[in-house]
Amino acid sequence: MDLTSLNNSLRLITPEIILSIFLVIVVVVDLILKSNKKVIPYLAVLGFAVTGIVVISSLDSSGFAFITASTSSKQFGMFAHDPLGGFFKLLILSVSIFIVLFTITSSEIKQIHLRSGEFYALMYGMVLGMMVLVSAVDLILIYVALELLSLSSYVLAGFTKLRDRNSEAALKYMIYGVVSSGLMLFGISIVYGLTGTTNLYLINSLLQGPQINILTLLFAVLLIMAGVGFKISAVPFHFWTPDVYEGAPITITAYLSVASKAAGFALLIRVIQIGFVSFVGSDGFWNLIPVFDWKALLVLLSVLTMTLGNLSALWQNNLKRMLAYSSIAHAGYLILALATLSTQGVVAVLIYFIFYALMNLGAFYIVMIIADRTGSEDIDDYDGLGYTSSFLGVSLIILLVSLVGLPPTAGFIGKLYLFIAVLDAEMYVVAVIAVLNTVVSLYYYLRVLKHMYLTKASDSTQSVRASGGEKIILLLLVVPTLLFGIYFQPIVDFTKSCITVLGV
Amino acid sequence: MDLYDIIFYLFALLTLVSAYFVVTNKNIVHSAFFLLFTLFGIAGLYVLLGADFLAVVQIMVYVGGILILLLFGVMITNKITNVSIKTGTIHIIPAAIVIGLFAGALASIMVKTQWQTESAKIPFTTSYALGKSLITEYVLIFEILGILLLIALIGAASIARREEKE
Repeated sequence: MDLTSLNNSLRLITPEIILSIFLVIVVVVDLILKSNKKVIPYLAVLGFAVTGIVVISSLDSSGFAFITASTSSKQFGMFAHDPLGGFFKLLILSVSIFIVLFTITSSEIKQIHLRSGEFYALMYGMVLGMMVLVSAVDLILIYVALELLSLSSYVLAGFTKLRDRNSEAALKYMIYGVVSSGLMLFGISIVYGLTGTTNLYLINSLLQGPQINILTLLFAVLLIMAGVGFKISAVPFHFWTPDVYEGAPITITAYLSVASKAAGFALLIRVIQIGFVSFVGSDGFWNLIPVFDWKALLVLLSVLTMTLGNLSALWQNNLKRMLAYSSIAHAGYLILALATLSTQGVVAVLIYFIFYALMNLGAFYIVMIIADRTGSEDIDDYDGLGYTSSFLGVSLIILLVSLVGLPPTAGFIGKLYLFIAVLDAEMYVVAVIAVLNTVVSLYYYLRVLKHMYLTKASDSTQSVRASGGEKIILLLLVVPTLLFGIYFQPIVDFTKSCITVLGV
Repeated sequence: MDLYDIIFYLFALLTLVSAYFVVTNKNIVHSAFFLLFTLFGIAGLYVLLGADFLAVVQIMVYVGGILILLLFGVMITNKITNVSIKTGTIHIIPAAIVIGLFAGALASIMVKTQWQTESAKIPFTTSYALGKSLITEYVLIFEILGILLLIALIGAASIARREEKE
């Protein structure tokens, strides 16, 4: 590798470099400041914002960084800078900014303010892992980025150490995570043994050759899916999700449910589209190399994931746990959109993710505000809250209706595009299952509203009043949820411009 | 079966048997000592693969560094040495079925697959080539591993620290 190509590569990973610099700045500022660490979260927001601006400015460019592999005609790197990666980076950075804003008002995080420098440093580690993950096209880089992401999230899940549940969450998350990443590494080693390369593009061209052992590849792909499935908490790799989501600080729960899931989906899209698609037809459907039936696997995973997620959510009385199961169910819908194996499917995934991020973050934030005041996430403590704190009540109605997917909210538009993609692919049976699932989800979302508006408050219920800052943050999430439900064309157009994957 | 194969199976056997004792032993000090043989066996496998640098690093870092630290940690905190670890087995039948299937699939794959192979060469020292590719082709991975280690340090310190009372 000569100096020009190194320069070229460094230019393409500018966002990641800026993030690393801010990571170091956060650590150093934390060391300099003795006790008053109020400035660190704002520094963290600044870092994410600067990185976001750089990502936006390079959104329509593309190219390979760190060229390591080449065929006779083309050269491939281990890091692909392309619009799809740019989209997910923007999503992850915006979610991160919201999460930092959440932590500023969270009482859980205020109690550990002396260690807040470490908290934000770990968050930067997580974001860096995700940013690399969504652009990685080399199996080794994918694994290292996944480890960076996981390692930071294990610590963050148990960061507050206020209750035993925190440590339990961290330990459970770590044990499941280590096992699944070990399985994934084993799968990667089998793929390497089969093809002799770790680059997804080269793997693609080798898979088109005649001498690939299909059974071995099946085994390897299933093992790799264990790692990916863990990140997107797809059934049967979901066992950690409810316990970790319930035990982790609520800001981190919201973060895990949106950002790290987005990174997992970006990885899944990339692995399928680069590794296994021989060509994209003119109608937008992908023609797979006939070595592995992705459609069957994804449909199976998606049906299991959404059904189990929705049915388990019915019995939950803890709101955090209910939202955990609901996020499993939403992952099921997203896998279904991907299972269409078409460009429309990817568009649906991206649109759904923008709206899912808004409504899920908002719902978790309201649960956080209420838990900060009443010290409880139990559904019985929400009795009559709709009357005592009307602002939170109305916001929660909008967000939950959007999570169900009813008009006139953004969630409806997300589900609409999703079902159109599924019907286009002529997958009628699964579409019906997904609709039935949506009906089931109506019950447990509306149950919260029933408690807030139709149940009389007991004497012990405290009234909850959101502060001005909290109201502004919440409005930033609720207003777009309503607005995009009516005026969604710009989002759709933006998403359609972002689905190009480099070299496919 | 030539000499090479015999040495390979010896090292593999050493690794597996000592690993079994690491997991099943109830005394944590004994487990740590068995870990010594596991790590040493893996270093032997590296040598057989011609990865001389990796083998030396394995012995220096794992056997020489991490294991000694582990033993010191165990011995200094004398409470741990007396604790007998719970090593029970639950759900033995489903576990046996799953592991049996997994092992069967794995074994058939290992035997039947046509792996990409490379003819054995006279081993050269690998440290030069390894160092070169780490700072040229794989520099991105190298740097990200650096950040990974920083995050691991911050995380470990943060977990280990006792919460200060205010």
